[in-house]
Amino acid sequence: MKKLFALVMVLCMAFSLVACAAPAAEEAPAVEEAPAVEEAPAEEAPAYTFVEDGKLLVALSPDFSPMEFVDTSKSGQDQYVGFDVFLAKYIAEQLGVELEIKPMSFDACQAAVQMGAVDMSISGFSWTEERAANYCLSDYYFAGENETEQTIIVAADKAGTFATVEDFAGLKIGAQGASLQESLCNSNFEGIATVEIFKDINDAVLALKSGKIDGVAVATGNGEAIIANNPDVGMSGFSFEIDESAENNVIMLNKNSEALTAKVNELLAAALEAGYYGEWYAAAQELAGIETAADVSYDDEGNVA
Amino acid sequence: MTFQTFCENIVKIMVKYWDVFLIKGLSITISLSIIAVFFGAILGALLALGKMSRFKILRGIITAFIEIIRGTPILLQLYLFYFILPMALPALNIETYPSIAIALVVNSSAYVSEVIRSGIQAVDKGQTEAARSLGLNKTQTMLKVVLPQAVKNILPALGNEFIMIIKETSLASTFFVGDLMTSYLTVRGATFLAIESLFIVGVIYFVLTFALSKLVGVYENKLKNAE
Repeated sequence: MKKLFALVMVLCMAFSLVACAAPAAEEAPAVEEAPAVEEAPAEEAPAYTFVEDGKLLVALSPDFSPMEFVDTSKSGQDQYVGFDVFLAKYIAEQLGVELEIKPMSFDACQAAVQMGAVDMSISGFSWTEERAANYCLSDYYFAGENETEQTIIVAADKAGTFATVEDFAGLKIGAQGASLQESLCNSNFEGIATVEIFKDINDAVLALKSGKIDGVAVATGNGEAIIANNPDVGMSGFSFEIDESAENNVIMLNKNSEALTAKVNELLAAALEAGYYGEWYAAAQELAGIETAADVSYDDEGNVA
Repeated sequence: MTFQTFCENIVKIMVKYWDVFLIKGLSITISLSIIAVFFGAILGALLALGKMSRFKILRGIITAFIEIIRGTPILLQLYLFYFILPMALPALNIETYPSIAIALVVNSSAYVSEVIRSGIQAVDKGQTEAARSLGLNKTQTMLKVVLPQAVKNILPALGNEFIMIIKETSLASTFFVGDLMTSYLTVRGATFLAIESLFIVGVIYFVLTFALSKLVGVYENKLKNAE
């Protein structure tokens, strides 16, 4: 019995090690591995299926107010709120299934989608070429001006002194790994400034405050929320030049989920027409405002107001 | 940011989010650690016995298992169990918490098995020889002579493993399992006050592990005096 158990364990480990090689090899076309790993029902029939019957599993990283964050006064599934959560609820409702949020870190979200552990991830993903090659991406959805503009925040005493890419020459700029900001930094600052990658934005802000880096690339809305709570941080005055693909967010689905992607695109178009996006963003901001930024704030001297 | 603002922010966070840290976070961190060490100790004991058995193949398999678990980062193991387990056993419908708990149990079993094995092997060989020559059989020797002495070596080390696991559960926050580090992520995400939240969980972790290590120390002394 022990022997059998140990054997199963070893096999399980060996299998998982192989399976894990796929996300590690980000650059290589990991497309072939994905279907092999997936044991969940693949999309053979023209209709879409779910990982779990009657449920829509959505992965998101709830540490990014106001897009997705945790309302600490609630528990269970209710505690996840924000624009992307409203969107997920809407999609689940329209598909006639129950929504289940699977919270995990931003990079784990992508692994979850790739391995078919969830139906989709709605976590403020932007469209990038690499993502389009390895995943099914939905059409764009729009979260409002604040979320589309991409900027850099710097120490407060240098705020507003940057206008062009060249102004950052020789400096260190932080960005969240595997994010739009990272690819923006890499393409804009190549040979000009050093790009440092962080596990998430808040770690990068910590590094900025401790002087380890000189700036952090963020979405403007996110940057404003950060500045509201950190008086020693300010807007650089620089904003990235971006094309439409970077301005909007997409929903990320497994490479095999073409049918579901098509359905999601239909729903997104309907939501746009109905004008839900503005409503959701306003509601999310209000939730974030009550919960957060306004609550612990500073006055001009940097004291808590 | 002055020291005063720092302190004021901590007070503000604690007033508003104390339950997130001290009730939700702390309870899940402790429950995960207890599960990991308790079941890890049972599984680890089996593994240790298997590793000392006469069957070469079993020994080989267990050694491979222990080496793989000890030779790979726990974060990677959490990823594997979180993603692979529900996929391998879809019928069981495994939730986040159990899959994280299983990963921690498997991880700690590998470490505990080595603790137990070395604890048993540290008992002087003369003890076994004496017991055998007095007419006790192998099982009796193990249960009545070797194990009682080995426990003295094993228990303090198990306590240390418990302390280690408490800290390692923090990695489970990758999947927002609800432990102390998840509380930090949650509060940080809501307030954008990173250092303050980090400081709070740091203090909680330290108080927890420091108290435990003192307890282990007291227990260790007691065992020593009983000699």
